[in-house]
Amino acid sequence: MEAYLGIDVGSVTTKVAALDVNDELIADFYLPTQGQPIVKVQQGLAEVRRHLPADVEIRGVGTTGSARYLAGTIVGADLIKNEITSHAVAALHYIPDVQTVLEIGGQDSKIIIIRDGVVTDFGMNTVCAAGTGSFLDHQALRLNMGIEDFSHKSLDSETPVRIAGRCTVFAESDMIHKQQVGHRIEDILYGLCQALVRNYLNNIASGKEIRPPIVFQGGVAFNQGIVKAFREELKTDIIIPPHHEVMGAIGAALLAHEEMADHSDSTKFRGFGISDIQYRTSSFECKACPNLCEIAQLATNGKVLARWGGRCDMWERTSAG
Amino acid sequence: MRIGMPHMGNLHITLKTLFERLGVDYVIPPSNSQRTLSLGAKYSPEGLCIPFKLTLGNLIECAAMGADTLLMPGGNGICRLGYYAKVQQQVLREIGYNAEIVELGVSERKLIGFMQMIKRLSNDASWYRLITSFRFALAKLHALDAIERSVQKVRPAEQVKGAAQELYTSAIEAIDGANDYASLKKIKKSYLAQLDAVPRQSRANPLKVRVIGEFYVVLEPFSNLDVEVELGKLGVEVRRTTFISEWTKFSLFLNPLGINEKERYQRAAMPYLKHDVGGEGWESVGEKVLHAGEDYDGIIHLAPFTCMPEIVAQNIMPTTQEDIPVLTILCDEQMGKAGMLTRLEAFVDLLERRRRARLACNNVRRAYGSLLRD
Repeated sequence: MEAYLGIDVGSVTTKVAALDVNDELIADFYLPTQGQPIVKVQQGLAEVRRHLPADVEIRGVGTTGSARYLAGTIVGADLIKNEITSHAVAALHYIPDVQTVLEIGGQDSKIIIIRDGVVTDFGMNTVCAAGTGSFLDHQALRLNMGIEDFSHKSLDSETPVRIAGRCTVFAESDMIHKQQVGHRIEDILYGLCQALVRNYLNNIASGKEIRPPIVFQGGVAFNQGIVKAFREELKTDIIIPPHHEVMGAIGAALLAHEEMADHSDSTKFRGFGISDIQYRTSSFECKACPNLCEIAQLATNGKVLARWGGRCDMWERTSAG
Repeated sequence: MRIGMPHMGNLHITLKTLFERLGVDYVIPPSNSQRTLSLGAKYSPEGLCIPFKLTLGNLIECAAMGADTLLMPGGNGICRLGYYAKVQQQVLREIGYNAEIVELGVSERKLIGFMQMIKRLSNDASWYRLITSFRFALAKLHALDAIERSVQKVRPAEQVKGAAQELYTSAIEAIDGANDYASLKKIKKSYLAQLDAVPRQSRANPLKVRVIGEFYVVLEPFSNLDVEVELGKLGVEVRRTTFISEWTKFSLFLNPLGINEKERYQRAAMPYLKHDVGGEGWESVGEKVLHAGEDYDGIIHLAPFTCMPEIVAQNIMPTTQEDIPVLTILCDEQMGKAGMLTRLEAFVDLLERRRRARLACNNVRRAYGSLLRD
């Protein structure tokens, strides 16, 4: 059996997806990155391998997410793609007439505008993580509840309170204030969902024309409160695709398939055996100029595989090969 | 008297030539680096833009190198730049430097005023010496910009990535060292030929983007994280209007005669913005409108973070009728290269797919057209 792999290594979670030759999802795995992208890629690959038939033959691999270059180097990717394109491609695969993609992940949120099957505009949060998964996790933890309970409880709200959602710091102090004056926790939670949706629409989506069909993907689409708030605010239905949390990885796999169809050469995939290799990362400060860039390097068995992080490409060039 | 001046692109090579020819003592601060930026940011009000912070870093370094007269662009009615020299003067005093900042009025745009100021700084050099020195300095500026234009064309197509950039670096050095018109001409010719001979990929017709936006961040690669080099790596050809030689040509020579290069863009922007908003805001809108009708695939709009004129432009651009994708990049000391590259990559994908879709659409139209004719 032939398959294509997509690996999405985000700041908070790592996602691996495998597609068959008809681009049907045959296996996927979702795990927290916990600050160890390399180990998690290895684990994710091993898990997905267990769910694939024994005779599987990987024909192409794509990586995406903020650690796409690191992951691509480790697994031997045929294609390394930014997360915006990957998410758009995956959304188009499941909902061909999609016009708007809302994506909220662990540390970033994006909006992608699509017209006639082509991305025409996109936006991404710049300096602020308000409204992303990490912040919701943090609030759930503070209220001593699982993120799943957060999701269910917020739906029980009857009279949501107004929370300042412009900034996580203000949102948190506002939530504490509302809780201390005696508002119900359900109303505070849903109030927070509404605030974050408002913040998203006023910042990332500002100046963008949101037209249906609207697809909402990324880990935060698990949160029923956020979904409900989006539906209310946009006054229209929102489609949550079945594998919304691994859409980036699916997009990377789809792109790898497309790439390998265009170029008939064989895959650069290093095989599932990489799950057992020891990789070592280290970093140093380059002193060649006053920029003092922090160069990170990836090595195995004393051999440097890749270096990156410089303003210029001096170190990237020396590590090539 | 020892003169110092902040960096902006290759401007220091021109000024160095001018000062050398006039026998003025000068210092060139170290090239812009993280060190310059940290130094500038340390003494800057937080909300000011990256041009302020970098130029302040340069000025402090100049003062530390013994410069007592610092040239800093300024003037009325542009944007907050009008205050920068004054604020920077105060900062220098506070940290213990006595150097004096001389404000170069970039808004007044009078050749004679500029020349008079240089004359004063050069200890009253003769008009003849002044004009000949100035001419040679300008010749260098033009040579530099001609080579940069050629580099912009070669970058996206070169087989070995970085080849054009390497030639560019050594060309800058060679032009810096040229002492007369004959050798300058020879250097320019030789480098243009070498750039022409760089082996290129066979792929015809690369994506083409226009880089527009605020003058300083467009011209100073350190402040925009080498956006043009990165676009080149992604195989995209860059064109832009803003060159220092263009600016001097108009501001020093043609504006006084009543010829204004900006009028074209201002007229194009009229349906959406009817007046100057400072900086290059008005022109940015106009550039978007004008270039949408040309054979560009997209526009990269560079703006310093907190730059009011460009924020006005950024918000007006999506409302114009002319349809061309625009990516605004806010340049700031907090900006990370990874974030910028993700956006650039996604933007280039967008342009690529959009072009493909358009071609397919045109082909269908053509096929349909020939069917109708038959």
